[in-house]
Amino acid sequence: MPFREVSEIARMLLLTVFYCVRRPIRWSEVIRQGYDIGNRSLVFVVAVLGFLGMILIFQSAYQAQQIVGDLQMLGALFLQLLFREFAPTVTALMIATRVGTGIAAEIGSMVVTEQVDALRMNNADPVQYLVVPRFISGVAMTFLLSTLAVVVCFLSGMWIASVAYDVNPSTFYNTSMLEWGDFIAFCMKATAYGVAIPVIACHAGLSAFGGSEGVGWATTKSVVNCSLAIVFLDFLLSGLAFVFLFS
Amino acid sequence: MIEFHDIYKSFGPKHVLRGVNLTVHKGEIMFIIGSSGAGKSVLVKHLVGLLRPDKGRVVLDGQDITDLTEAEFYPVRKRCAMVFQNSTLFDSMTLLDNVALPIRKHMGVTMSEARELALKKLELVNMADEATRYPADFGDGMRKKVAIARALTLEPEFVIFDEPTTGIDPISANIVDRLIRDLSDRLGVTSIVVSHDLRSIFGVADRVAMLYKGEFLLDGPPAEYRTTDNPIVQQFINGRPTGPMEV
Repeated sequence: MPFREVSEIARMLLLTVFYCVRRPIRWSEVIRQGYDIGNRSLVFVVAVLGFLGMILIFQSAYQAQQIVGDLQMLGALFLQLLFREFAPTVTALMIATRVGTGIAAEIGSMVVTEQVDALRMNNADPVQYLVVPRFISGVAMTFLLSTLAVVVCFLSGMWIASVAYDVNPSTFYNTSMLEWGDFIAFCMKATAYGVAIPVIACHAGLSAFGGSEGVGWATTKSVVNCSLAIVFLDFLLSGLAFVFLFS
Repeated sequence: MIEFHDIYKSFGPKHVLRGVNLTVHKGEIMFIIGSSGAGKSVLVKHLVGLLRPDKGRVVLDGQDITDLTEAEFYPVRKRCAMVFQNSTLFDSMTLLDNVALPIRKHMGVTMSEARELALKKLELVNMADEATRYPADFGDGMRKKVAIARALTLEPEFVIFDEPTTGIDPISANIVDRLIRDLSDRLGVTSIVVSHDLRSIFGVADRVAMLYKGEFLLDGPPAEYRTTDNPIVQQFINGRPTGPMEV
């Protein structure tokens, strides 16, 4: 993302937060968007995280058996990995592709059909009218879907560990490695991704131009920028968590 | 009075307006014509701050509005309404709420008061019986009538019509033409109409300006367009597919 684009996104984020504080907020639209984001992503998140949980445990258990031959701590380490890194980041990448593109396409279509200009003519700021509801519901749903991802991924891992490696579920369910820092890191990441995805997707939609080609360009831009932002935030927050929470 | 002084506007490498000068007098019906992509809509959007010129000044009743902020443009948009090419009704709102939106936003009245006023405007375009239905239930012609009702809600002094008769049947087009004439004759409203519709141009316009290659080629009463020997104007007016005009 070039510098100008990053500064535009930062400005939109500040304006969005300002409108969240200043109100009024269209709560009916927040609920509609929340349902839309959650509903659109639920099956996708459950299916992908379910399979990834199984694949990860199958592969890591195989490796662990080769090296140490003991799988007693497999569940505890997996749970820690899910909280610290895997669940919020993979869920965010999925939301960015599934929901971010939808937001960019919807708002991009509104731009090219002059609906956003009509909003401005009617004294309605597009950020307050379009971005704020998606922002609030985006933050809430990213958090909820990341929590669901932990549960689904852990349960599917538990099942494959039991079937493929005879690890007892009660042994696999081991929270001894979890610290408060893991919960804090999870919350920080889920919130940061939840903030970034709707703002970046809305920015991509609002910068669409031309006709249908412009809408396509906006959706591509949304998925690329969201993915880059997630990876960058992951790197930054993991570093901060390591320095301040885990060291 | 509306004045455009030496307006330049480019989008990337494409120079759309190259030093456009135009004055529209109070109560006048000014038609801006030209081939698709000539920059007609781009020019009129400068009046309401939806686009900003790269160079040049826009003056409204003696006030230079070129550098106003988005918030400072709100009172200007209350005085200058715009009917967009695509009607731009919001699909999630009923026709009544679409028309009530500018009343709520610009006048700060309650929803019920705004709806009451909006219903009167819908009566003007014979759409009051359909007030509780949604835009998706109607064709282009009826949507355009509602868009006109919405533009007139705040009793503007200036109205910009962007291709108001494109895509609608001849009877509805005549109704729209008559409405534009009535607004000027009865209420002294100044209208700028972007159009290709020759029937409207020669039936309603007080003055016509033809935009070609980013500049006005001819600016005068409709009769002058019939008598001019300018080959480009003649080709456009007579709709000849071949000639000196570069489309």
